[in-house]
Amino acid sequence: METLSIYAPKLITSREYIASGHRACSGCGEVLAMRYVCKALGRNTIISNATGCMEIISTPLPQTAWEVPWIHTLFENASAVASGIECGLKALKRKHGYTREVKVVAMGGDGATADIGLQSLSGAMERGHDFIYVCYDNEAYMNTGIQRSSETPFGASTTTAPSGKASMGQHTWQKNMAAIAAAHEIQYVATSCSSYPFDIMTKVEKAIKIKGPSYIHILSVCPTGWRCPSNSTIKMGRLAVETGIFPMYEIENGKYTLNIDLPKLRPVEDYLKLQGRFRHLDKDNTAEIQEKVLDEYNKVKRLAAGNKAK
Amino acid sequence: MKREDTIEIRWHGRGGQGAVTSAELTALSAIHENKFAQAFPSFGPERRGAPVLAFNRISAEHPIRVRSSVIKPDIVVVLDPGLVTLINVVDGLKPGGWLIVNSTRSIDDLQSEFSGDWKLAVVDASSIARELLRVNIVNTTMLGALIKTTGVINIDSLKEQLEVKFGARAKANLEACRKAFATTVISSIKTGGQKKVRTFAVENLAKWSELPVGCVVTDVGNTKQFCTGDWKAQHPVWNDSKCIKCGICSLFCPEFCISQQKDGYFRANEFYCKGCGICAQECWTQCITMVEEA
Repeated sequence: METLSIYAPKLITSREYIASGHRACSGCGEVLAMRYVCKALGRNTIISNATGCMEIISTPLPQTAWEVPWIHTLFENASAVASGIECGLKALKRKHGYTREVKVVAMGGDGATADIGLQSLSGAMERGHDFIYVCYDNEAYMNTGIQRSSETPFGASTTTAPSGKASMGQHTWQKNMAAIAAAHEIQYVATSCSSYPFDIMTKVEKAIKIKGPSYIHILSVCPTGWRCPSNSTIKMGRLAVETGIFPMYEIENGKYTLNIDLPKLRPVEDYLKLQGRFRHLDKDNTAEIQEKVLDEYNKVKRLAAGNKAK
Repeated sequence: MKREDTIEIRWHGRGGQGAVTSAELTALSAIHENKFAQAFPSFGPERRGAPVLAFNRISAEHPIRVRSSVIKPDIVVVLDPGLVTLINVVDGLKPGGWLIVNSTRSIDDLQSEFSGDWKLAVVDASSIARELLRVNIVNTTMLGALIKTTGVINIDSLKEQLEVKFGARAKANLEACRKAFATTVISSIKTGGQKKVRTFAVENLAKWSELPVGCVVTDVGNTKQFCTGDWKAQHPVWNDSKCIKCGICSLFCPEFCISQQKDGYFRANEFYCKGCGICAQECWTQCITMVEEA
């Protein structure tokens, strides 16, 4: 580690846009990701937040942790509300001489993004609204007690996909949200992880500059739902990236860039064995996961390499 | 309508402490004794460390048709010592009922704090759990205190349920349960005393019904009034001689409560710190250690 980078945390603004006293579980990685996103977004932001952990923990009525304009929407319409706000701002500019540059941001968990709110997100991206969609992916419906979503990884045990004699937990593979967003041919799609604050902030800053929709998918470690100690949040996120389970990449105008390209990936066991939700997996399951992970990772790597060749 | 012979229990704990498991084990043991029983948690966001409730209904004679949460319990069990000063645990507790508390404080000390027409039982379950189970999870230990004071279930029927639930770990859990059974201190009813009127921090906060139409909160960032610091089981302590003032602890704090002091060293604001231990885990020089709450 270069000596200077040790002091890098000092480069980040100390201004917070979410207040302390929020009700997240101890060791929450999702609220950390949201903190970095908001630091990068700054003051001139309007946030439309779908139902989910981040909504529940930040606004226990009559209190709010937010220090930027924020609206609570339902699971299914965070992007629709963001579209409306963006159109409203446009109208204000056109008719009433409003000049401030305000970025509209929609946020949601993996359930609100990949399951329930996918239609409104797809619609908003297709219409080309000038907004950023941030998905905090903690890989299940955590705030209601760990129910499976379409982002729950293969083999994970959840309360609605429990492991036992008849089942090994979740038996489907994750939905590739970044690819779905990219298929809308929007200008900017990125994936990031709660353990990499600078990566998140750089990507959000890039997205702010885009005129039109952009999509950022952030893997957010959930110690409660993943059944791991609350102090392992940062480590777990790093392992997800270092094992290749969660490749961090950007798609700018269709061009892939792999942000962290490791010469050698760690075996997936390093990641799986530390989490209670994967405790029941046997060698065959792990091998199957390893194969799939390498497959997906190499796919992204090939796409990124293709760009370089051009 | 609730029948007269039904015993209602309310469990106060924190997310992750196993209050729900306690309630389940109690109900399963009662069913094992051919009684009718229910166990269920209060519905709400499940957050590690936040105060939670779980409920039991047990009847020796009749099937239980009531499905609502318990408002007027016969027995209240408090798993976390910090909760007695935080929320009104005796809310609705019936005259002649039981309050069973996990605390290191003496029974006289606690009795001076509460007074009402019910009986108090105190056990230092945290120390027992740490000694025998090596974790501060007191759900099975507190079952020992419940059995000793009220006898709603039998320790032998609990033994069987523990074996089903915990397998190899059942032995230590049962041992903890028995130790709590042996060390629980019980007081008699203290009547006639003036009921103390206490206000809790939560009651001083604004109410949702006072919000303007549309539920607009105009007071930005007012969660700052809310103390999340009492969720923690351990707190970080800095060894400044090893600190290089890099600020990584502050960067990775999910409560945003670690800040740089005037002298350049970092400290956590104990009012918000939930004791997750990320700062201690991530510190380059390992100058932070997590110390158990007293």
